Amino acid sequence: MSEQQYDLIIVGAGPGGYIAAERAGSLGRKVLLVEKDKLGGVCLNRGCIPTKTLLHASKLYAHAKEGARFGVSADNVRFDLGAAMEHKRKTVETLRRGIASQMKRFGVTVIEGEARLIGSSEGNRVQVGNQTYAARNLIIATGSSPAMPPIPGLQEGVARGQVLTSTELLEISELPKRLVIVGGGYIGMEFASFFGTLGTEVTVVEMMDEIVPIMDREFAAILRKAVKGVKYELGARVERIDGTVVNFSRGPEQGRAEGDLVLVSVGRRPNVDGIGLAEAGLDIDRSGIRVNEYLQTNLPGVYAIGDVTGKSLLAHSASRMGEVAVRHMFQESYRGEKPPSVGNPRAAGAMRYGAIPWVVFTSPEVAGCGLTEEQAAAEGRRVNVASIPMAVSGRYLAEHPGERGTCKVICAEENGALLGVHMIGSGCSELIFGASLMIESELRVQDVREIVFPHPTVSEVLRDAIWEVE
Amino acid sequence: MATEVLMPRQGQSVESCLILAWKKNVGESVAKGDAICEVETDKATFEVEAGAAGVLLARLFKEGDDVPVLTPIAYIGQPGEKVPSGAGAAGSSLPNPTASEAVAPPSSKPRGEPAASASRAAAGEIAEPEQRPATSRTISPRARNLAQAKGVKVEEAHGSGPGGRIIERDIKKVLESREPMTPAAISDFLGSAEAGTPGAGTGPGGRIGTKDLNAQTPAAAAVEGQITERPVKGIRKLIAERMHASLRDTAQLTMSASADARAMLSYRKRLKGSAVETLAAVTINDLVLFAVARTLARHPEMNAHMAADMIREFRAVHLGFAVDTPRGLIVPVIRDAHLMTLTQLSAEAKLLSQACLAGNVGPDDLAGATFTVSNLGNLGVESFTPVLNPPQVAILGVCAIQPKPVMNGEEVQFVPSIGLSITIDHRAVDGAPGARFLQDLAAAIRDIDLTLAL
Repeated sequence: MSEQQYDLIIVGAGPGGYIAAERAGSLGRKVLLVEKDKLGGVCLNRGCIPTKTLLHASKLYAHAKEGARFGVSADNVRFDLGAAMEHKRKTVETLRRGIASQMKRFGVTVIEGEARLIGSSEGNRVQVGNQTYAARNLIIATGSSPAMPPIPGLQEGVARGQVLTSTELLEISELPKRLVIVGGGYIGMEFASFFGTLGTEVTVVEMMDEIVPIMDREFAAILRKAVKGVKYELGARVERIDGTVVNFSRGPEQGRAEGDLVLVSVGRRPNVDGIGLAEAGLDIDRSGIRVNEYLQTNLPGVYAIGDVTGKSLLAHSASRMGEVAVRHMFQESYRGEKPPSVGNPRAAGAMRYGAIPWVVFTSPEVAGCGLTEEQAAAEGRRVNVASIPMAVSGRYLAEHPGERGTCKVICAEENGALLGVHMIGSGCSELIFGASLMIESELRVQDVREIVFPHPTVSEVLRDAIWEVE
Repeated sequence: MATEVLMPRQGQSVESCLILAWKKNVGESVAKGDAICEVETDKATFEVEAGAAGVLLARLFKEGDDVPVLTPIAYIGQPGEKVPSGAGAAGSSLPNPTASEAVAPPSSKPRGEPAASASRAAAGEIAEPEQRPATSRTISPRARNLAQAKGVKVEEAHGSGPGGRIIERDIKKVLESREPMTPAAISDFLGSAEAGTPGAGTGPGGRIGTKDLNAQTPAAAAVEGQITERPVKGIRKLIAERMHASLRDTAQLTMSASADARAMLSYRKRLKGSAVETLAAVTINDLVLFAVARTLARHPEMNAHMAADMIREFRAVHLGFAVDTPRGLIVPVIRDAHLMTLTQLSAEAKLLSQACLAGNVGPDDLAGATFTVSNLGNLGVESFTPVLNPPQVAILGVCAIQPKPVMNGEEVQFVPSIGLSITIDHRAVDGAPGARFLQDLAAAIRDIDLTLAL
């Protein structure tokens, strides 16, 4: 059994792993990327991309049906799930080929197989099949899987194919007439929006008293009312699943929701089992592998990025974490980039979570970055808040008449710094990056006011909201 | 008729300019168009040119003065010509009214001469220059604007302009020494008197953000990963307090030497081979303790306690020796060690060590030492600085036995030698007596057979 030597071994080829591989490869490092399934991870194969492809299809369907008010009428508008699935498959395959060619371009060796960490006393080693590979640096990017809560009847439902996770729901061949979604987080709500728009009767059963906890509560309420064809059972604790009937309790009250299918979307769990992580002595807690601000674990040369750390379960967070880790392990390659800092040499290039934008791709979309009003209050910050309807944008009004979009900005009272931006309304997914840039750069109200926004675009609402801040 | 040189107006918004440097001395001839001085506005640096040819008769302001535009700053005329008597009056209406210099006869004032000279006083019309108060920090408008835009506090900059005035390059120098600040950080930094200057930040590209201004010390905040916490209590707390008090309250001096260990090693070898159990159990440490006890009896200044205004020397040697236990360092005491035979001392040391390790040593066995020995030789330590156990005035550190090159006639011989480090409280004992003790102890170890015969 021979052993091959690399500068970096990455376990998991999701958006954390393959971006890390690209970055390290571009530095001329010898990189091995191990993936047990397909390049792109959950994001590309079972998450972000497939859902966005399908959501676009459902939006087109809605536009086609509602085109009359714009002067475009179409009869017999039908939704063909098979064709939508085929488009999804092609999209995913094209993107997967794109990743493969990027790996080739940066000299990254990709192997398929289940990796196993074996000891780190003499450097870090990974076993794949009969082959061992050694490297000074190792990145664990094994991602997460849908959490399956211990609800009576759930396992039986899964076995019968009546209870699904998002993974299986993306592969169905026929639209259900009725769908019950257990868990009103962003994954549950995206599916609710997709199926609701296509005419499925959707019931969302959520344990908390409001959907999507990351979201500004005011927006969550707007979203609930705006998504078509969805009923909500809030504050409902699921007690039992009988076939496709979800039984829940709300205090003393009992309730049930029946569907043809049940989607369970109650969160995700880090993939830390069965690959030798705990055996190697890796520090793992309930939310995932523990890492510091450079994504270092407790083992020398071993880094962890993305969902498996439980820090921020978003594809783009994973990608950035990959970059931070690669920069940290190959610091010497980055020296020419910038003159060395005076003071704390550890400060530069640490992972920052404060300005990571997020988007929920429902109809309408919701996006946010930075603190919500509630979070600012919990931190005891004195803030100025301004909120304006998206309809102040001419473009928005022209394209989305009747939609109740809102943009809210939160600024620090003491220095005017922009702390949070939250938007609900079609198109906001493409403009939230601007808020991220402003928050990350700690721009103040007076600074943002000097920026020119293109007219007529929806992005102008951000500028207008900033002008509303006192 | 002397010609005025006015501070030019450089655009509508400029109300005053700073004189950076004079290019011409009083008495020096100037041609029309010559640069007379260099001035700075908040936007640019430029030169003021002579509007007429002649001799520079007077300079009405010093370098570093901030002069309103269209104010006369100098006169050009013929040698010996008087400057207009109104010049002083014009000067007195200015914010910096008295800063000026002039001479009547040209070339009578050497360049750079201090202000108040008799010849200039004779010039009459112009008031005496006044020293700018050294405490007032002055900054040019241009530098101030840059400082405010980029987040530099005036006190961070070192003025390199005329009269220590802070000019643009001084602010730029501060900016070069650190990463740029985010706009919000600039607001916070300039608005807070306490905020210090961070050298680097955690923002994009190392930018200094608001968090970096209030950052805690990294040691307390940044440690992540597996942490084991042990409360400081019991023996650990006692050791912490005693050791810190020792280093805080005494004047410790450590000296190191070594002793020829051949006799001791061969003696120990013979003891070890003995059928008598008490003889076979004698260790190197026991032999050193024995030598120390015997040597101390001849050096009462080392066998002493230091009180506030009293040094107490003891005839009896109560020898403390450090024992490493799982609960921490414990120092039991062998009473009247100077009276003991080697086997008695060895047995007592063994008994006390075992009690310490078992955790059942009595408080009486831990008090009243007159001198302490700490042995780290078995751990390979070659030299160290033992920490005094006050009020004792000395502590001996015993180090590893190592071969040491020694000249033997023309040849070099390697002699196994035991390292000895003595720490003394210099308040009570001087270096030389401490060194003499060490020398005697080394001899007592070298000639351990003779020491045993005493």
